[in-house]
Amino acid sequence: MAKLRIGYPEDPDYQERLEEFEARIARGEKIEPGDWMPAEYRRQLIRMISQHAHSEWVGMLPEGAWIPRAPSLRRKLILLAKVQDEAGHGQYLYHAAETLGITREEMVEALLSGKAKYSNIFNYPTLTWADVGIIGWLVDGMAIKNQTMLAQCSYGPYSRAMVRICAEETFHHKQGKEAVLLYAKGSRKQRQMVQDALNRWWWPTLMMAGPHDTDSPHTPLLLRWGIKTKTNDQIRQEFLNEHVPELLEAGLSIPDPDLRYDEKTGNWLHGPIPWDEFWKVIGGEGPMNRHRLEARRRAHEEGRWVREAMEAYAKRRLAQAAD
Amino acid sequence: MWGTEWPRFEVIKQDTERSLPQMVGSVHATDPEHALLVARHVFVRRPSAYALFVAPAEAFFHVTQEALKDPKALEGPLGEEEAYWVFAKKSHRRSMVYGDLVGRFLARSPGEAVKEALLEAQGVAFWAVPERLVAGTEPTPEVVESWFAPAREKTYRLQSYYGLVTAKEVEHEA
Repeated sequence: MAKLRIGYPEDPDYQERLEEFEARIARGEKIEPGDWMPAEYRRQLIRMISQHAHSEWVGMLPEGAWIPRAPSLRRKLILLAKVQDEAGHGQYLYHAAETLGITREEMVEALLSGKAKYSNIFNYPTLTWADVGIIGWLVDGMAIKNQTMLAQCSYGPYSRAMVRICAEETFHHKQGKEAVLLYAKGSRKQRQMVQDALNRWWWPTLMMAGPHDTDSPHTPLLLRWGIKTKTNDQIRQEFLNEHVPELLEAGLSIPDPDLRYDEKTGNWLHGPIPWDEFWKVIGGEGPMNRHRLEARRRAHEEGRWVREAMEAYAKRRLAQAAD
Repeated sequence: MWGTEWPRFEVIKQDTERSLPQMVGSVHATDPEHALLVARHVFVRRPSAYALFVAPAEAFFHVTQEALKDPKALEGPLGEEEAYWVFAKKSHRRSMVYGDLVGRFLARSPGEAVKEALLEAQGVAFWAVPERLVAGTEPTPEVVESWFAPAREKTYRLQSYYGLVTAKEVEHEA
């Protein structure tokens, strides 16, 4: 696909078209692939959607590791369905990004070369079965807050992908919550396991919403163009207000000594987030960064003969049809 | 034949025997048969479906309402008369609607087919594709059953099957 060279501030009609574009967004219209859009809108969307697609794709790994070791057939079926969903979500999102003029090949290359980012949360290991429950309830819980917001996004293909994804993520959230609650009310060993999982996943989950609004320079523009409809801190607050009371009701303790309920605003307020760790993990120093990328590269390499065989088959059929 | 990337096919999904086929997204595949299989994995893991269709993405003629302001938007070289499938996006606001099938039109170019469709339907964007390039699953009971029943009968199909999960109500698994 030819690279689009429209929508730049130096274009003669930029200001006029930008006004039209912003008026459409203000009216609540969806922007579609063939429509005029500022180059920066396109760039921000490609960045966000491809990162999101990579996250779904890499996100299969931590949970996929537990499919062979699931504690019952029921849990194995649930987990199989969930990991298959994540693969599908990656596909929806890669497609949405492709409508903006980037190719699948470019995105896969960016992921495998380590150039592209994906959600930091997947750079942590899943040490016990209880982690699978915590990922479903908390990690997917935070993801749903973000995705429900993105389903309102001004870009049609991204918004459509999000609507489909949210429907399936809600199932992921519920199965995780159920698994955690079972352990929280189970034997002493089970309670210890699930508390340990919560202790390890709590802060990385809060970091998923991204840096504080004061440290997020893109946010005002993303809000103005309807790419985002809420800020990182708003998303994090929604997550806390829903999940903290439920975790406490389950008898679990949250590893934040400063966590408190604010009567005045009705919000659960968290203590300082360890951002040093966040930046370290983003920079490639997380416990599983190398492992995750190696797994994706290996899968890509191991699938090569299948892709080559299918291409050879398609070529032969075309040649036969031409004869 | 192609780079390191398989060609892209647009996917058209028909939910039930009575509903209109809709454009739902796209997949990469080596040929139409492969595209249909991939489309089933991506778009029919849970939803109901009666039929799936695919056509090469580059075979679609696309025009937006904005572009239709130009009277020449629908002009182009004329070929032999053939059948086109024309899809319309009805509103900018409904986020799930991509393209609904308006109908099948005989025309000498995709632009002509869209002109015909405009007599029957309003839309903010239109797509047209020659019918000869559309491949689909057969609408026979055996095919519908073998392709789409597994999604319908999936154990963990819908989140509502879980009901309300609260700390008080969770019981031990049998």
